Amino acid sequence: MAKNDLQGALDLLVLKTLAQAGSLHGYGIVLHVQRASDDLLRVEEGSLYPALHRMEQAGWIRSEWALTETNRKAKYYELTSPGRKQLEQAELSFEQLVRGVRAVLRYA
Amino acid sequence: MSVFRRISNLFVRSRVEREIEAELKSHVEMRIEDNVAGGMSPQEARRDALLRFGNRTAIQELVAGEDAALVLENIWRDIRLAFRQLRKSPSFTITAIVTLALGIGANTATFSVVDAVMLRPLPYDHPNQLVDVVSLNRRFPDGEGGSLSYPDYLDMRSGNHTLSNLVSYHDNSYTLTGDGGPVHVDAQVVSWDLLPALGVRPELGRGFAHEDEKAGTRVILISHALWMSQFGGDASVVGRTVRLSGDSFQIIGVMPSSFRFPVTAPKTGMWTTLAVDDVPTDSMFKQRGAHFLNAIGRMKPGVTVAEANQDATAIAANLARQYPKTNIRHDAARVRSELSALVGNTRTALMIVLGAVALVLLIACGNIANLLLARMRERQREIAMRVALGAGRNRIVRQLLIESLTLSAIGGIAGCALAFASTPVMLSLIGDRVPRAADAGVDLRVLAFVAGVSCLSGLIFGIAPAISGSKTDLVSVLKEGGRTEIASRDWLRSGLVVGQVALGLVLASAAGLLITSFLHLRSTDEGFNPSHLLTFLFETPDSRYKETRPQFYREYFEKVRAMHGVDSAAGVMIMPMTDDSADISFEDPEHPAPEGQRAGANVTLITSDYFRTMQIPFLQGRDFSDQDTADSPQVMIVDQAFAQKYFPGENVVGKRLKPGAGNGGEPAWREIVGVVGSVRLSATQREMRPVMYLPSSQLSHWCCLHTVLRTSVEPLSLEPDARQVVASMDKEIPVTDVRTMQDLVFGELAQPRFAMVLLGIFAGLAVLLSVIGLYGVMMYSISRRTREIGIRMALGARRGKVLCGVMREAGVLLAVGVAIGVVASLLSTSVLKTMLYGTGARNPAVLALVTAIAAVTGMIAAFLPARRAASVDPMQALRTD
Repeated sequence: MAKNDLQGALDLLVLKTLAQAGSLHGYGIVLHVQRASDDLLRVEEGSLYPALHRMEQAGWIRSEWALTETNRKAKYYELTSPGRKQLEQAELSFEQLVRGVRAVLRYA
Repeated sequence: MSVFRRISNLFVRSRVEREIEAELKSHVEMRIEDNVAGGMSPQEARRDALLRFGNRTAIQELVAGEDAALVLENIWRDIRLAFRQLRKSPSFTITAIVTLALGIGANTATFSVVDAVMLRPLPYDHPNQLVDVVSLNRRFPDGEGGSLSYPDYLDMRSGNHTLSNLVSYHDNSYTLTGDGGPVHVDAQVVSWDLLPALGVRPELGRGFAHEDEKAGTRVILISHALWMSQFGGDASVVGRTVRLSGDSFQIIGVMPSSFRFPVTAPKTGMWTTLAVDDVPTDSMFKQRGAHFLNAIGRMKPGVTVAEANQDATAIAANLARQYPKTNIRHDAARVRSELSALVGNTRTALMIVLGAVALVLLIACGNIANLLLARMRERQREIAMRVALGAGRNRIVRQLLIESLTLSAIGGIAGCALAFASTPVMLSLIGDRVPRAADAGVDLRVLAFVAGVSCLSGLIFGIAPAISGSKTDLVSVLKEGGRTEIASRDWLRSGLVVGQVALGLVLASAAGLLITSFLHLRSTDEGFNPSHLLTFLFETPDSRYKETRPQFYREYFEKVRAMHGVDSAAGVMIMPMTDDSADISFEDPEHPAPEGQRAGANVTLITSDYFRTMQIPFLQGRDFSDQDTADSPQVMIVDQAFAQKYFPGENVVGKRLKPGAGNGGEPAWREIVGVVGSVRLSATQREMRPVMYLPSSQLSHWCCLHTVLRTSVEPLSLEPDARQVVASMDKEIPVTDVRTMQDLVFGELAQPRFAMVLLGIFAGLAVLLSVIGLYGVMMYSISRRTREIGIRMALGARRGKVLCGVMREAGVLLAVGVAIGVVASLLSTSVLKTMLYGTGARNPAVLALVTAIAAVTGMIAAFLPARRAASVDPMQALRTD
């Protein structure tokens, strides 16, 4: 798979996470993905933060500093409406990709 | 992110950076908290969190990279870093900046002249619609083109469909007499619609009206400068009547101070209409063969120059059919944009100089590139460190390019200051023969040029070192303590030096050709002796002297000859070395030809003693004398070129010809009474032109002789006495154009001298820079191989051998460069063709000399590094790492 598709998958995971959780900080996103995937997926911090900033530049998400439950300052991200549209498209193309790959794997 | 935030980010960079840092920090700390909560010890928790997170600095850079606004921010940081780097190695920085300042400064000064002369639009309304119209002989379509006669001009104006205006003009001058002493004023005689055609209005009063062109009307427009100097800027000057060369004229308006017409004659003080021309030229207005009018036209909207040209050519061809007698040699016309007609052959010289100075800058860039490449080696460790800290290759290239651009920006600023200071020097070199050059100066366009050239040169000398630097191989550099070298870098450096030597040689051979040509011009015999000659001019207005000129001049020259310090004195209508000439045809009974196809020659009027005064050798026959008067047999003298061209192998003395010059009526038959040596009429003419000399005493209607004095003292010291003599004859006559003949010759040589001096300087710089480049490369190569040379010597290599080896290496570079340069010169110097006199564009002697100079200086430059290599102390060398 090309590098772009991996990045596409990371974007998809982040967008979906934010859609499900509403508003999260970076660490929260890492934890959520890990838990939601039953420890199958791990998000690298080294790619997460550049991706967050890139998506913010693209206008898919917006950020805000807020306090955590433990009174720590953290940057919270949430989806914007262009982000929602992007999520729909990304989900659609990911489903197609999965179906396509599965079809090839099942081919006898 | 809003645009506003992006921009504000530029100014609060630290805030954004701090934000990113805080975000990452809070991430790590949340992980630590979770780890501790999960049962790890605080130290273990921290270790695990950091490990999972990876290189925070690298991530921070990556995140910042995603923030588009931060790209600009990073550039700013890189610029500050660049300044720090440049401060760290002052000798390199100063060398590079001085080199750049010279290169960019010379380019800027040259460009400012090119801009003023060739690129700036003419100061009139819609200047691209203005065209220059000349008549032409179809057989010589590339000829210089001639003026129009008045009847031809009228037919051209009424018959064409492409021009909305066709204005004719010619120069004249008047003596303004009034409250102060008499003043000489240059004037232009123009058709009435000049101002509407140019789209210009007077500052005060009105422009010409159609009625003003009727014969007998005497109205003038005066220049702002004349208004200020002669009328004190008095607004009531409009409507006032003034005396000009004895006639009354009414001032109808004052032109704005910025107005100039024609642009080539910036000193023009007044404009009057074609209606008021002097009486002798009256008949010229009727003669279709008298070509004395220049013409400038405005094309109708949407008309192209080619269409206007076609139109005018068709009219000229028609006129030639209608009036074959007078128009057979003017059967075509040429319409060109006014600007390109104005720039004319100056274009070649300017473009060559601009090209030369651009090459110098290119060579200078080569030197700086070489210095940068050499520095790359010392900076390898620093770059490797940056790579290790996570900087990508693009980042390194960008950083290095920004360093180069910072350098070139500083060089550009210094160069601009240099250009500002040197433009006056350049202008004094050009002289006043190049139209509009005097307007050159540093303005916005020139500043834009500096910015562009600086940027471009920064890229040129920066790109190779930047790419080469970014290829730094991290592992090998850190492992081997920075002693690795990328071989391609050496190739680059050698290639640069070869290119520099080749370019330097091309410039040097071009300069060599121009110098040879100039020396040829200087040493060519003028045909007369220009030293100790004083010349000046005054007018003898027709209103008072039309019939009495011969007596006036006879008396006047008697007085002048009696002046202390004067050996001999004479008068001449058209002075050599002034770019003036008049060409008339003559009837020759031995070779009859219909009017219009007769042979012609330059003509001038002289008094007796002219040849003795100028020291033009008499070959045959006699001089004019006081006995040659209007009533005596009409005579003429011709020069050697005339005799050889029209009567080869014959004795011309005694032949009778009829040159078309008369006192209003039919010209007279004249007997040739003498033959004199040929004289160069212009210092830059390629061959002697046939000349006919007519005695002024027999042509009293022809105005105005220049006085020529052969002196036994410093010529200019006689100026006050000469003025006094003229004033004693007529106190209303101002004396103008007081100059020595040597000044005139000097002025004539202005353009070749300008091209030669500038190209010579640039070629010298180019050779110097390329030799320095060679020296630098060799020095560097030696210092890099000190250890190797040391080992070889320790093993018994002889010093002579080492020396020879280094010299051979330099010799190869030099030889390749010279070989390419010789071929390039042979291919390129033909662009100089029109600027060369007495030498072809391929002069083997010049090329051989230039090659020898390049080879010798190059080998001298190589000798120093070679000697240094040979004096390497083996023990010392082995100890260095």
